[in-house]
Amino acid sequence: MSQDALIWCLVAIAVTAVAAVVALTLRNSALGAKKREAEAALTQRLRYTEGELGRMQGELQRVRDEQDGVIGEAEQAAEESTKAVLKGAARFLQSLAAEQTALLDEIQRKYGGHSVLTDLMDVNHANAQMARKAQGIAVMCGAPLGRRSQPASVYDVVRSAQSQIRNFHRVEIMQPSGIALKASAVAPVALAVAELLDNAASFSQAEAPIEVTFQRVQKNLCIIIDDAGVSMSDEDRQAATALLSGDELPRLSQLGTQPKFGFPVVGLIARQYGFKVDVTGVSRYGGVRAVVLLPEELWTMEETSPPASEVPVSSIRRVEGREQGSARTVHGLPKRGARKSPIASVPSDGGGTASAPRRPAQGSGGGGLGAFQRGTLTGRDLDAPTPEGSEGA
Amino acid sequence: MHDEPDSELELTSALVPLFVIAKGRALPADHEYEHTTLVTAQEGTEAAARTLSPEARAVMDLITDGFLSVAEISGYTRLPLGIVRILLAQMAEDGLLYVRNPAPRAERVDRELLTAVLDGLKTRFGA
Repeated sequence: MSQDALIWCLVAIAVTAVAAVVALTLRNSALGAKKREAEAALTQRLRYTEGELGRMQGELQRVRDEQDGVIGEAEQAAEESTKAVLKGAARFLQSLAAEQTALLDEIQRKYGGHSVLTDLMDVNHANAQMARKAQGIAVMCGAPLGRRSQPASVYDVVRSAQSQIRNFHRVEIMQPSGIALKASAVAPVALAVAELLDNAASFSQAEAPIEVTFQRVQKNLCIIIDDAGVSMSDEDRQAATALLSGDELPRLSQLGTQPKFGFPVVGLIARQYGFKVDVTGVSRYGGVRAVVLLPEELWTMEETSPPASEVPVSSIRRVEGREQGSARTVHGLPKRGARKSPIASVPSDGGGTASAPRRPAQGSGGGGLGAFQRGTLTGRDLDAPTPEGSEGA
Repeated sequence: MHDEPDSELELTSALVPLFVIAKGRALPADHEYEHTTLVTAQEGTEAAARTLSPEARAVMDLITDGFLSVAEISGYTRLPLGIVRILLAQMAEDGLLYVRNPAPRAERVDRELLTAVLDGLKTRFGA
């Protein structure tokens, strides 16, 4: 009996346990399902949020790009307007400097016999340097270079460049024979060489010479500028090469407070006029060797008609000389011909200002000029009051 | 700012300025290389002449045949007198020239002094 009771008890417990287990299992699975549901919802939400984030990032990037674009445009516009303003000013300076140079030329001719000439030449030198700067700024701003209408010997072009730097007496130029630059190349090459000379002068010792030589390499003419300064570092060389190629044009605003536009200007005009400039060489003095390489389109081997100041001179003289043959006195003095080619001692433009050397102290006009001739004649006859004097005159 | 079309500026000034021709030298003293001073090239200077600047060579060409006055050289070369004098001074320094100075001029009388004397006479003796 008690055994039965025990069994029943056990059965009851077992049933309860089973029921409990079933109930718990059911509940567990329900919880699991809920959890999965929740997880799925969360995952979806996460994905959504991620998507949103991506979109936002995209948007942000777009806005940023837009902003950069706008800033770039604004900078460009600022650069352009700065250039436009500067260009106007530079052109003004450029033409004033040119005008002043022409004026100074005239004044120097006018007072050529006066002691003020030395000072005038100093003024002219300062003016030539100013003109170079004005040209440089104008070129940087996209204005055209002043141009020359006459071809010139390459020697004179380099001398013109030489005149545009401060310590021009340091420049030593080898004289090439019969190489002339075409008219269109005269001004740009002069400016480029001037900038290179200036660079050579500023990066070498105060009195060290700067040597300019010329070399023909195949169809090119090289103008070689050797300085005795320090050579450049590889970095500097690369930067210089980039600037000189004209590919890289620094913004005006990047030039700094003491703007160095030498190389950018050289690069620009070299590209514009079709020549090349290289500064990577080492000069024979261990400094920098700058080479301006002019293709055959820019130069010729013909002798240029030398500047007006030279032609008439030698021709007058030569003609005269030849005509008279070896007309010499016993003393080796040249004999004067009958005065048909008159006017030997006085430039034909008589009252003309230009080169007529006039002595202010002497009487004016023709009297003074006559005195010249008498003077020179007397001078000639000084030690030779000779019979042949009469043949001559 | 007026912006005329990008017309190119025509440069009319001399390509080689005078101070470069003079190589930055100052004028010689007043009494040297006067208008009537005569110069001629020394013998045997042809080789040295080849290294001269074109302007100095033009002067050399003129004076190799005989004496020529400074003023005449200036006239022929169309170079200002001062530049010719500077070139000649340099060439003489290099031993390329033979220079013959003109007969010394009669000394100029000081005009102010004369005026002063005249004034003095006037005040003393009446005009």
